[in-house]
Amino acid sequence: MSGPLPSAPLLSARGVVAGYAVADMILKGVDLDVHPGEVVAVIGPNGAGKSTLLKAIAGILVPSAGTITLAGAPIAGHPPREIAARGIAFVPQEQNVFPTMSVRENLEMGGFISPRETPRRIEAIFARFPVLAEKRRQAARTLSGGQRQMLAMAMALMVDPKVLLLDEPSAGLSPVAAEALFDTIRAINAEGTAIAMVEQNALEALAIARRGVILVDGRNARTGDAAALAADPEVRRLFLGG
Amino acid sequence: MLSDLIGELPQLLVNGLVAGTILALPAIGFTAIYAVLRFPNFAIASHATMGAYAGYVANVWLGLPVIPSLLAAFVVPALSGMACDEVVLKPLRRTGPLTAAIAAVALTIALENVIRFVFGNDLRGYDLPVWRDWRFDLGFAVLRVGPQQVENAAISVAVMAMVFLFLAFTRTGKMMRAVADNPMLAGIKGINADTVARLGSFMGMGLVGVGGMLLGLDTSIDPLTGFRAVLSVFAAAVVGGLGSIPGAVVGAAVVGVGEELSLLVLDASYRTAVGFLAIVVVLLVRPRGILGERAF
Repeated sequence: MSGPLPSAPLLSARGVVAGYAVADMILKGVDLDVHPGEVVAVIGPNGAGKSTLLKAIAGILVPSAGTITLAGAPIAGHPPREIAARGIAFVPQEQNVFPTMSVRENLEMGGFISPRETPRRIEAIFARFPVLAEKRRQAARTLSGGQRQMLAMAMALMVDPKVLLLDEPSAGLSPVAAEALFDTIRAINAEGTAIAMVEQNALEALAIARRGVILVDGRNARTGDAAALAADPEVRRLFLGG
Repeated sequence: MLSDLIGELPQLLVNGLVAGTILALPAIGFTAIYAVLRFPNFAIASHATMGAYAGYVANVWLGLPVIPSLLAAFVVPALSGMACDEVVLKPLRRTGPLTAAIAAVALTIALENVIRFVFGNDLRGYDLPVWRDWRFDLGFAVLRVGPQQVENAAISVAVMAMVFLFLAFTRTGKMMRAVADNPMLAGIKGINADTVARLGSFMGMGLVGVGGMLLGLDTSIDPLTGFRAVLSVFAAAVVGGLGSIPGAVVGAAVVGVGEELSLLVLDASYRTAVGFLAIVVVLLVRPRGILGERAF
């Protein structure tokens, strides 16, 4: 994860203002850069706007100001399906699978924008996540929390994304399941996929990230090397529970 | 007294099952539209009537047999349902499901009166071969089954099978199920919700139209054909679980059999009260319906 950053960010958000009501903007001018092949951890207290930032990038929320670009091309305000087709895969924190559809059907929907590649990628996913292969005919609602997160992640990988946006991937998981999930995230990143990850488990997130972004009240409070942020006494006191 | 009731039971059960089978199609249409668009589209009443009249025109005016006429009963309300949703209901859905539901009631009254203006109020019947009923002596009762009843039920089952195969095995069907399951996630995965909304209205109203014609084949049609059935259709969808297609089939069977069995103790004019009763019982005991909100 160390080493110099490539000069141009793959995903860049500048001065993003967004929220759920005109009078109540949660993001008040946030910047975020994700360079090719890196993991960026977005951390901060509840209500800081971490998930809102990912939703604005994924097109679920339309920013009222600011720019978002992917490989230099503007994407802010585009519909989610167009943003997905350009190479951004978003895994929401909750409701991130189709509960009544089977595991295999969920993967088919994950690869909806590239149907020709779908059969080959499903086989690759089953080879990578054997538990999903075992449960391919089961409805997603019958999976455990960890398996469901694994399926959500696998669905995102079905389109071979340039950037993976993960919203609280370890939320609600047991420590063992969370650890397995972080291993998976490391493995996905090792294959070259850039990742922006919002995570309550800030220490774990900073441990696998190259850079960290701390949001407070909809603004960037700190941005920098993840290891340096994790070691900073003030950051530890304010955001990492000591 | 008791032996009379027992004697009537087989006939009522058969009639109820046939009625439930026919009711299942409009109930599937209604619940499919609800699953995708998340509002109760009461315009099903006029579209069932529209299907009945489209089939009538094909069958009586153009002289086509029943099966090709059913195609007309599907296509005309399907196209109308899609157009009405696009022009009338879609702009109102943003303000909430209640507004859209009220607009759908207004729409159904308007369309029903267009049909009345064109065809008048007279009862009309399809051009069908005259068949004698089959009679089965069960010892304690004589069961009469009309070949037309059996044909209608068979058509309904065949159409339901096609719907299930479409939803289970085609990319478009899975796309519709995905939107019904989780519209936000479907959008993230690249599924166009507008396309699915149009498909949902097309397929849903088409099924409602076929149901309308099947209801008419069993009896006769007039501009209130759909309106008379709408409560039973709504009850079937609610009993089975709004948004659940298997639920609509189960709910239709419950309401169809329930309405017929009510004749054991009630006058026929109170039969539709069974639909109300079924809704009340389900809302009190199991508000999500028999099969919950399973889309498929």
